[in-house]
Amino acid sequence: MFNDLFFRLRSLFRHDTVESEADTELRFHFDQQVEKLLKSGLTREEAVRRARLEFGGHEQLKEEIRDARGVNLIETLFQDIRYGLRILGRTPVISSIAVLSLALGIGANTAIFSLIDTVMLRMLPVQKPEELTQVRIREPRSPNDEPSPTFTNPLWEALRDRQDFYSGIFAWSLTQFDLSQGGAVHDINGTFASGDYFSTLGVRPAAGRLISEADDRRGCPGVVVLSYGFWQEHFGGEQSAVGGSLSLDNHIFTIIGVSASGFFGLEVGNKFDVAIPVCAAGIFDGPKSRLDRRSWWWLNVAGRSKPGLRPEQLEARLGVVSPQVFRATLPQDWEPKYQQDYLKRSFDSTPAATGTSYLRRQFTQPLHILMGVVGLVLLIACANIASLMLARASARHKEIAVRKALGASRARLIRQLLTECVLLSTAGALLGIFFARWGSSLLVRYISTGDTKVFLDLTLDWRILSFTAGVAVFTGLLFGVLPAFRSTRVSLTSAMKGSQGAEGESRAKFRPGKWIVASQVALSLVLLVASGLFLRSLVKLVTMDVGFDRNNVLIVRANLHNAKVAPPEQPAMFDEIESRVRSLPGVISASRSVMTPVSNYVWNSGLDVDAPNAPTGEAALAFFNFVSPGYLGTVRTPLLAGRNFSDGDTKTAPRVAVVNETLARRFFPNEEALGKYFRVHPDPGKQAPPIQIVGLAKDAKYESLREEAHATAYFPIAQITEDAEEQVFELRTAVRPSALVPSVQDAVAGVSRAIPLEFHTLAEQVDDSLVQERLLATLSTFFGVLALLLAMIGLYGALSYLVAQRQPEFGIRMALGAPQGSILRLVMRDVLVVLAGGLTAGVSISFAAVGLLQKMLFGLDARDTLTLLASIGVLSFVAFLAGYLPARRAMRIDPMVALRYE
Amino acid sequence: MANKRIELPQGTLDLLILRTLALEPQHGWAISERIQQISSDVLLIQQGSLYPALHRLERRGWIKAKWGTSENNRRAKYYELTKAGRKQLELEQDSWKKLTAAVAQILETA
Repeated sequence: MFNDLFFRLRSLFRHDTVESEADTELRFHFDQQVEKLLKSGLTREEAVRRARLEFGGHEQLKEEIRDARGVNLIETLFQDIRYGLRILGRTPVISSIAVLSLALGIGANTAIFSLIDTVMLRMLPVQKPEELTQVRIREPRSPNDEPSPTFTNPLWEALRDRQDFYSGIFAWSLTQFDLSQGGAVHDINGTFASGDYFSTLGVRPAAGRLISEADDRRGCPGVVVLSYGFWQEHFGGEQSAVGGSLSLDNHIFTIIGVSASGFFGLEVGNKFDVAIPVCAAGIFDGPKSRLDRRSWWWLNVAGRSKPGLRPEQLEARLGVVSPQVFRATLPQDWEPKYQQDYLKRSFDSTPAATGTSYLRRQFTQPLHILMGVVGLVLLIACANIASLMLARASARHKEIAVRKALGASRARLIRQLLTECVLLSTAGALLGIFFARWGSSLLVRYISTGDTKVFLDLTLDWRILSFTAGVAVFTGLLFGVLPAFRSTRVSLTSAMKGSQGAEGESRAKFRPGKWIVASQVALSLVLLVASGLFLRSLVKLVTMDVGFDRNNVLIVRANLHNAKVAPPEQPAMFDEIESRVRSLPGVISASRSVMTPVSNYVWNSGLDVDAPNAPTGEAALAFFNFVSPGYLGTVRTPLLAGRNFSDGDTKTAPRVAVVNETLARRFFPNEEALGKYFRVHPDPGKQAPPIQIVGLAKDAKYESLREEAHATAYFPIAQITEDAEEQVFELRTAVRPSALVPSVQDAVAGVSRAIPLEFHTLAEQVDDSLVQERLLATLSTFFGVLALLLAMIGLYGALSYLVAQRQPEFGIRMALGAPQGSILRLVMRDVLVVLAGGLTAGVSISFAAVGLLQKMLFGLDARDTLTLLASIGVLSFVAFLAGYLPARRAMRIDPMVALRYE
Repeated sequence: MANKRIELPQGTLDLLILRTLALEPQHGWAISERIQQISSDVLLIQQGSLYPALHRLERRGWIKAKWGTSENNRRAKYYELTKAGRKQLELEQDSWKKLTAAVAQILETA
């Protein structure tokens, strides 16, 4: 073994010595042989001739000796690389096109993969993340649903105190805190963290200390831990920040420390700015704190089980404590049947090494689809380079024949050609990594919306790098294998004769080129169909009638809780603000409500009507909004019948509602809903008052643009039954909505300077709800066009090559009197054949694959005929365009020039 | 001249080279001459197979090479058997004998 290695290395490093030794040895043998033959009486001339005949090819023998010595593998690799670089450098334009298209393909793949890696695969940067498990709650009533990850505080405390099988268990909850003390809101990302949060995760302080068990007791004072990034950004990394204070939602917190850099929390896609103990929720909530609420679900729980406890043992232990914990935290005010369900719930444990992520839920499918899309683009790029290589290989026909004649084995030549390909793809990959870095950060910015800034740590890790390396080698082989094998199958005699081969042979040679181009056409069609579908879905979503007019509406969210206004004084203050902003110049109309459309907030409950077949369960669910009289007019949801609310619908007036068409149809089928009464499902032990329907409004989207219309009821905001300490003002403006922000701020400051305000436009809010769709439509269109371009280049290249090869033939045809048109037809026939083959394959692949996309589409079938026909049309047009240029060149051939080539 | 010669069965060349070198170190030409002589011109070794075989054996460590001077005073590469080579020779000789005996037996009796 050692001997062998030494031997190979000696051959490698003492290359010249070994070469000359072999020469000397063979020369000696040859001379001896000549000597011998001379002795047998031949003339010198005859002896040398005979010896040479016996000897065979000197270089060939040396090559075999090199093989026997085992030097070749390593040495020829270096040789091949040097030679390959020289060859590629000789055709800089073609090589750079190849490298560039590969870089685009590989870069796109790496960019999408790095997002998949960071969002879905990467472990949290904490101590031994693989040991972390998250506790979730299984609901026996719906066994097929994913267990729920949210806890109430009593539930969390009961589990924490009743278990002894976690070496550390903690709760957390993500939220936003407003740094401002009135005026424009300045939201930052906050996390509630229980006492064991930092210690269980193994996070160390960068300054001061972190939240410990002693900080997380009922009635705790407000303490806050800053994240490293926030500390740097807001306090310049000053040690003196520790001990200072910070206002969160208008409450003063004392800074006790800073967490280590690199730790962003447990939610991938979000980084926390500040962490406060769970007990601090009491500071914000006042006496009716969520800490004691048994149906306020807001915490997540995870832990590290004791060493040696296997996952199934952990599950079993959780199963044992479940009944005790749920019995101890039973919500007393629930209806008995829901209480029974509550008692049957149980805990479940799931690995949490990769943290949690709403991005994962939202973008897993789009990312997988995009991965498929960029994979196709890379394949098309590969096909392009393969036909390029094929064309170049036939140009190198003679070179290959000469090398073969000199004794190069076929395997050796194939290796040389493949090395060139891998060189290309390596260069492509290196450049691609740069594209990917740029592309993936662009993507992250793209999926960030006004409300949620996405934060992802996109540093390259081994997984991304090995993915890229793998893709590079794979593509190099993919586009290299066919040309390498074909071009080394050379007949020496015909090649040396100098002709490119007979006419029949050249036609045969185009066949693999045709295959490659046809498969490009097929793949491009698949991409075009996909992008067409996504684009049309998006257009449908954007242009459909949503039941309100999103343009020129400014949304102002005002929080009187954080302004520390006592609840009884709040309605008057909201009224005051509403009337002040209504009279601002530039405001056409203004209103206020507790909800705005498509805002991620939902308020719903079951309804009862006095009818024999009244809907029950899910069907009885209606979605609510409490609005001021101006609301429907301001958002422009048409009132179809009855009356709108008026100032007469006061808190003490009879309860009234405006309902939408869906609610009317569902609860009062076959009869007039106007004037009828319904009741909202009452709180336990309470009586719900009857509410009269006084108006009928057109259906409008409530939660998302994709939804089927929800049964919706609007109530006068004056008759609201619960505290709504945060309300929203809608301002229809005659000018650009954002231009009104300063005057609104001034107007509200005239009422109170302590009120924090948050500004959006309704159009932004609707747009933000379409991130997924827009991402898919934009990117798939971008890649679809790229694919089309690549296919066009491929077809153009292949046909130009074909025309060049058949030039003599065309010359003869024309010399014999064939009209130009017939030559054109000859070439275009090839285009047609390729196109027909590619389209047929493409249509079948599309039909087989688009079913996967159905869930992401809106308002159209994945087998949509219009999209398919349009894609075929675009592709055919491009193909004929790409084919026409070479065909025209063929048509204009001067027969004399063409024939002289022979 | 050619018709009395026979093709060497696969793998026997290594054995012949090892056996030839067992007597004394030799250069390539001498090895082929010696095999041709001893076999009464029946076995003719082509350079095309001899030299790759020599280098392969050298790589395996069964023979080693050093430069010396030939009878006619020229620089020549001499090969000699190593200890491992001697062991290998015994092994191969053994199995060769078994093989030929078995083949002979079949040819005679069948």
